[in-house]
Amino acid sequence: MAARFLSKSSSGSSLLGALGTSLLGVGSVARQTTSNLTYSDIFFQQQRTFIQMGTKLKVVDNSGAKRVMCIQALKSKKGAKLGDIIIGSVKEAQPRGKVKKGDVVYGVVVRAAMQRGRCDGSHVRFDDNAVVLVNKQGEPIGTRVFGPVPHELRKKKHVKILALAEHIA
Amino acid sequence: MRLEKCWFCSSTIYPGHGIQFVRNDAKIFRFCRSKCHKNFKMKRNPRKVKWTKAYRRLHGKDMTQDSTFEFERKRNRPQRYDRINTEKVLQAIPKISKVKATRQKDHITKRLSVGRVNRRTEDRRELEQSISLVKAPSVLKEDATLTLPKQKVTVSYAQTENTPMEE
Repeated sequence: MAARFLSKSSSGSSLLGALGTSLLGVGSVARQTTSNLTYSDIFFQQQRTFIQMGTKLKVVDNSGAKRVMCIQALKSKKGAKLGDIIIGSVKEAQPRGKVKKGDVVYGVVVRAAMQRGRCDGSHVRFDDNAVVLVNKQGEPIGTRVFGPVPHELRKKKHVKILALAEHIA
Repeated sequence: MRLEKCWFCSSTIYPGHGIQFVRNDAKIFRFCRSKCHKNFKMKRNPRKVKWTKAYRRLHGKDMTQDSTFEFERKRNRPQRYDRINTEKVLQAIPKISKVKATRQKDHITKRLSVGRVNRRTEDRRELEQSISLVKAPSVLKEDATLTLPKQKVTVSYAQTENTPMEE
């Protein structure tokens, strides 16, 4: 929500700076603030940040939900990264599914646009932000997972999700 | 540990460098540095970007087919560790890379040698035609050592007749 509001503003650096500090609070500023970039440069050189309160995520399992809005990132003040658990509110759901619109659910972030460092020193980043809904014990609610998932989930003990995945990045 | 190739510029990516981008269709793009990553985000085609290996190979600037490339092919089958084999491979790697480098250099010299020959013939032609810019023709005629050897040139056009002036 905050990121989208920022993207609509023009490339004035002071305007972006003010918006960043006032709206985001704990999170970091989501846009580069240089003055001599063209519109297309700004569009392609986004600064990707954490998944925080208000971030809309895609749901990639067959639990019934389509989109979930993050209301709390557990275990971090800054926000959730790849492999972390979030609490979300279901914003859009399929008519006959295990979850309905307005439910408060737990989810595991399986794809994040912000790069995450791996133990060999490299970084991975995905194309979008996606989540798999789980229950409080960490077991997935759905029975299928779509798209690639990272193998960071193995270290976080989400083995069931890895077993359901169709491709492990 | 595996040494990957950058998707954009085709250079080797050593461990600890670069970013890996996983697209939603599960295709993985590896980049050696942010320059290549940013060019990819700009949707540039590496085959059109002059400094990439893809462009150079496509336009014949660099060697494309050689037996030394066979050694670097990606093998997905894990091999059981064999100490003697590993030692032999480690000894062979610098030799192979030296052979590859000399062959690549020869390819480029061969490609550029055409230009060298052309430039020499151009220079010779200019010397013969424009020697008057250096010294006046009358001076050259007086001093025999300064002139270039005379060359007989056969002209193949029909001789025009001089019509006498009418009085």
